[in-house]
Amino acid sequence: MEITLKFYRFSPGNGSKGDFQEYPVEIDESATVLDALMQVKEDQDSTIAFRGSCRTGFCGDCTMRISRRNRMACSTTVGAAQNEGTITVEPVRLITTTKDMMYDLDTWVYDKYKAVEPWIETDQKSPDKEHVVSNKVVQDLRKVMSCTMCWLCDEGCSTMVVDRKFVGPLALTKAYRSVFDPRDNRTEARLKNLSEKNGMWDCCHCYEASEHCPKGIDPTERIFALRNKAIKANAGIPTVRNHYRSFAKSVKSHGWLDEARLAIETEGLTNIKGQLKQVPLAIKAFRKGKRPLPYFLHEKREGRDRIKRIFEKWEENE
Amino acid sequence: MAYAFFPGCVSKGGCPELYPAAKIVADKLNIELVELRDVGCSGAGVLSQEVSDPVNARTLAKVEKMGMTMMTICSTCQGTFTQANHRLQSDPEYRDRINQEYLASEGLRYDGTVDIKHFLWILDEEYGLDNLKDLVVHPLEGLKVAPFYGCYLRRPPELMVPKGFEGRKTVLEKTIETLGGEVVNTSGKGKCCGFPILSSSEDNSLAMCGDHTLEAKDKGANCMVTPCPLCHLELDGKQEDAARHKKQDIDLPILHLPQMVGLALGFSPRDMGLHKHLVSTEEIVNILEGVRA
Repeated sequence: MEITLKFYRFSPGNGSKGDFQEYPVEIDESATVLDALMQVKEDQDSTIAFRGSCRTGFCGDCTMRISRRNRMACSTTVGAAQNEGTITVEPVRLITTTKDMMYDLDTWVYDKYKAVEPWIETDQKSPDKEHVVSNKVVQDLRKVMSCTMCWLCDEGCSTMVVDRKFVGPLALTKAYRSVFDPRDNRTEARLKNLSEKNGMWDCCHCYEASEHCPKGIDPTERIFALRNKAIKANAGIPTVRNHYRSFAKSVKSHGWLDEARLAIETEGLTNIKGQLKQVPLAIKAFRKGKRPLPYFLHEKREGRDRIKRIFEKWEENE
Repeated sequence: MAYAFFPGCVSKGGCPELYPAAKIVADKLNIELVELRDVGCSGAGVLSQEVSDPVNARTLAKVEKMGMTMMTICSTCQGTFTQANHRLQSDPEYRDRINQEYLASEGLRYDGTVDIKHFLWILDEEYGLDNLKDLVVHPLEGLKVAPFYGCYLRRPPELMVPKGFEGRKTVLEKTIETLGGEVVNTSGKGKCCGFPILSSSEDNSLAMCGDHTLEAKDKGANCMVTPCPLCHLELDGKQEDAARHKKQDIDLPILHLPQMVGLALGFSPRDMGLHKHLVSTEEIVNILEGVRA
């Protein structure tokens, strides 16, 4: 089929602001967008710059914004990407480009990847036999290991839009691989590191990362698992730890959430500054008729004893 | 039509205007709501699944006995329940373990047959927007409404917008149009409102709130509507802080979905509890009264 490939050109060295350049391409509709790009580079314009390596969705190198959707060029057919015979190819939006479709991977991918220390550490001496890991654990970790670092999860991330310093779902997925590997013995230190500023507690668990992951790794659930482990290990930041504990305490004792108590306990009872910060909002809400009862008057739901028993049983199982 | 009604904690707590508005509107639509009282909080993604799944299985076991679909008025409750239900339905071994360990002592058992639907989906998929249109007495003419879904009615898509239910991606827009309002689309309508990170990362949370409300405002919206009270807590409750963070006035009223429906069905702003919002809803009232005068 005949298509027009609109390719985004950008050369900061030339003072260029960037613009689309059009290339007519004759190519089969079952070919990939990466095939089309390579055809243009070989036959028409050797100066266009883009990344692409394995051509089979294995290396995650050719992530681009294709016809206004973020995807990998090697896994997207021309037929699927074209819109009335036109395919637009431009950089994903949250990553800095150095030329055309060449990304600053050090800043946006590798530095964050390194920050989560993506390796296994153990102080055990080499055992006589191989270190056996259960099949269940291996299957789970293998799924995570299939991450190609294509960056589509970070690109979809809601937090990254407002704060590019956020470590992001990609690096956190890699962190999961180390934290949940039973051979690693730095779990607590890792969870503390991941709880630092711009770490895992900045994730708003919007499931965008899971929606965008082409490998079905489900980064959002991986981040949930890391956070639950951190709470159990007492490693989260104080307000978050307080928030989780108060939430659980409230549901356990009353069957449902006491939001007034949650707001107070999240800041910490002795955190005067944190408590004072809430006063203007509380007064405003009170004036508008939002008047939650103090928590000793919070209604106890029917069935709360049964819910309490569920919590106790869960705590016994821990 | 009758549903087992799970109101959630926030509709009676931080957003006390939501629960009565939903009840009044359901009554007007002749939808019977059988409220679930002897049940626990969904966990809202804060409680570990290890404990929220048994608590939610208990709720679903009770609904199963009632032989009804469960209705929610909170996207977060909906998302948490849909995900828990999926785990319980797709893994009989897991379901059996929860039944035996947690529910059997109460004589309860969940067989995985319950359907859970948000009020927004029920309006379109079961009540019918055409039927809703027939009841509109005060069309929202002149009102420019920005829909805001938030996260949990849309993602994970395989659970929240499965095959055959693709209409859920645009149901809020269709509902606004059915009620006579004008839709103002924003790029952030399916993004996070910022509420989940309010306690851990306030600056980012306020930046999200500010971005969404300012975009709607810039595009000419008079108000925003959301099916999620947690989004409301952020978009309405933290809007003043977001405005300070963005160093710009915002003043965009945020409606709960049942309130918007109720206004079109002829209920007064006070009936719908608009006076309880932190951001003034005066502009909405003026526009609607101007049209009605």
